[in-house]
Amino acid sequence: MLLYNLRLSWTSLRRNPALSLLTVTAIGLGIAVASSFTTIYYLMAADPLPHKSDTVRYVRLDGWDPDRSFSSDHPGRPPEQLTYRDAVAIAASDIPTHTTPTFHGDLFVYPEDPNLRPFELAVRLCQRGFFPIFEVPFAYGAPWDARADAATERVVVIDHDTNQRLFGGEDSVGRHIKLGTGVFTVVGVLEPWRPVVKFFDTLNDDTGPPEAAYIPFMHAREMQIATDGNIQGWKGDSGETYEDLVASETTWIQVWAQIDNADQEARYQAFLDGYTDGQRKLSRFGRPNNNWIQPMREWHVEQGVVPPEARSMVIISLLFLAVCSINLIGLLLGKFLARAPEVGVRRALGASRRAIFLQHIVECQLLGALGGLLGLALSVGSLRVISDMFLDDTVLFLDANMIATGIALALASGLIAGVYPAWRVCTVAPAIHLKAQ
Amino acid sequence: MLSMRNITKIYRTSLIETHALSNFQFEVEAGEFVSVMGPSGSGKTTFLNIAGLLDTFDEGIYELGGEDVSTLSDAAMSRVRNEKIGFIFQSFNLIPDLDVFDNVDVPLRYRGMPRKQRKSAIERALDTVGLSARLRHYPAQLSGGQQQRVAVARALVGQPGLILADEPTGNLDSAMAREIIDLLEQINDAGTTVVMVTHDQEMANRAARQIFLLDGRVIDIRNEEAKPLFDPRRISPQITAPGMA
Repeated sequence: MLLYNLRLSWTSLRRNPALSLLTVTAIGLGIAVASSFTTIYYLMAADPLPHKSDTVRYVRLDGWDPDRSFSSDHPGRPPEQLTYRDAVAIAASDIPTHTTPTFHGDLFVYPEDPNLRPFELAVRLCQRGFFPIFEVPFAYGAPWDARADAATERVVVIDHDTNQRLFGGEDSVGRHIKLGTGVFTVVGVLEPWRPVVKFFDTLNDDTGPPEAAYIPFMHAREMQIATDGNIQGWKGDSGETYEDLVASETTWIQVWAQIDNADQEARYQAFLDGYTDGQRKLSRFGRPNNNWIQPMREWHVEQGVVPPEARSMVIISLLFLAVCSINLIGLLLGKFLARAPEVGVRRALGASRRAIFLQHIVECQLLGALGGLLGLALSVGSLRVISDMFLDDTVLFLDANMIATGIALALASGLIAGVYPAWRVCTVAPAIHLKAQ
Repeated sequence: MLSMRNITKIYRTSLIETHALSNFQFEVEAGEFVSVMGPSGSGKTTFLNIAGLLDTFDEGIYELGGEDVSTLSDAAMSRVRNEKIGFIFQSFNLIPDLDVFDNVDVPLRYRGMPRKQRKSAIERALDTVGLSARLRHYPAQLSGGQQQRVAVARALVGQPGLILADEPTGNLDSAMAREIIDLLEQINDAGTTVVMVTHDQEMANRAARQIFLLDGRVIDIRNEEAKPLFDPRRISPQITAPGMA
């Protein structure tokens, strides 16, 4: 009966193409708006490491001003970043499965090819632990080894685009790049990797692309690489020189750790508390111990990775879809009631009210499905435009979940638009129309 | 086959009540061919709608095939209509978007019959009415007589025990009307009960029994001789008022 009803529905749509087009377009526009904003929200709110995000921890120590908390709104919160010396000290711990201090800087690249002009490259300074913690995908090579972290070996991991630009996309492991003042050996090339949210550094351009190159953290001091991100301090002791900054109480480094179990967490917490206790004896950390090993998702929530506006837009877009559907009720009611004589005949020939209701609901669902397909096609385009305009990259896309959600919303809006007209037409007294036809 | 006892049907508005049927008594035996005549407003259509379970009534008992159908649910009434009753209408009431085959298919669809069985039943019904060659024609491509033959095939296809025909020749010229009445006779000869509402005395005369309605009551004439026109005064000696005899 479903196929029969689908056939009848298709015939009905073809009978009045202008009205059908209007209905499908109305649902399509509603779906386009709703699925675009829902997709943006969904992609921004999605867990980037769903199978391990609980183990990825953001490390925070409260070495802020003893007389004033870091956040006046949230006095219990420690500072968002660490000083250079604290970051280096705690990143040396071997308790976490992986750990890394990290920050973002810029360096010039001087290509070997004389035809290519030097260009600036976004660089992330980190330890090798960065790659397994965030499951960075490698096309060639691998993260550098522990020696490179300790001995300031000049190695670099470059991203897909940089490898294309400098080496034409070939396996460039072992090739050299002049980065800033040093020549670095390529040890790894990433696959194309563009998370919607830069989840490993939400303090700085959290929807921007990942950096193009990754070099060992210890080069920061050696090459005096300045951070391109947020700097926060309370003591006013950052000074004039790089060494002044390194020695100051200014916070600008982020530290991540992978903690796989409760025992590891307890030991790491004890390590951090021990570290700050020790520092207190050196007249630092004038506040009580308040050291956090914060789960990544909590950190993201605190940072407002999903802005409240995104949530509001989802609600507004769903309301828009509902308005589109409600507006269609009148249209479908007129269309269905105009068909009352045919319904009368069908009732006379044995169709129950339920059968007539289902026939019309199937038609609404067909309209909804066609509107859904149109809406999804429109939202592919709109997401591309939004990506290119606001994210400098095409990172917003409809995945299988969002396509399924779009279709479900379309069917739901078809149902909202069609239930009342279908009910009305199935309750029409058949006898009235049989004589009048 | 069909038994109505003390059926009353009142149409009500805020201003008036119209008694369409009053203590209506009517019996049709299986295999009968009955014509129903009467002036406009006499209750013919109301009777036919109630007989076809397309309308409800206020009082009385209606049994179809021995079953009291007064209190059936909508689904059960629909099933009875689908399986036991075939309808033929004055204006054919074919669905314009469906071709001949699909129009005849409609009642079988609601019966949930398998495809093969439906196909052979439709072909058989269309063969009976002589339209086997027009399977894929649309109603608009057929003459009035052909359209009514399609409607007859649609009424027949489910092999109902009762055919209710509402002025089946009303929109046809006399030659086509005769074709249709011949068809109804054939159907009746094959054992199907036929109840036909008509204004046409010639057509009514083809029925084995004629019923006259007046003011929502039955005037039953078991006539051996044909009555050229309905005239209550003229037939008064033969009037039997069922239920009062």
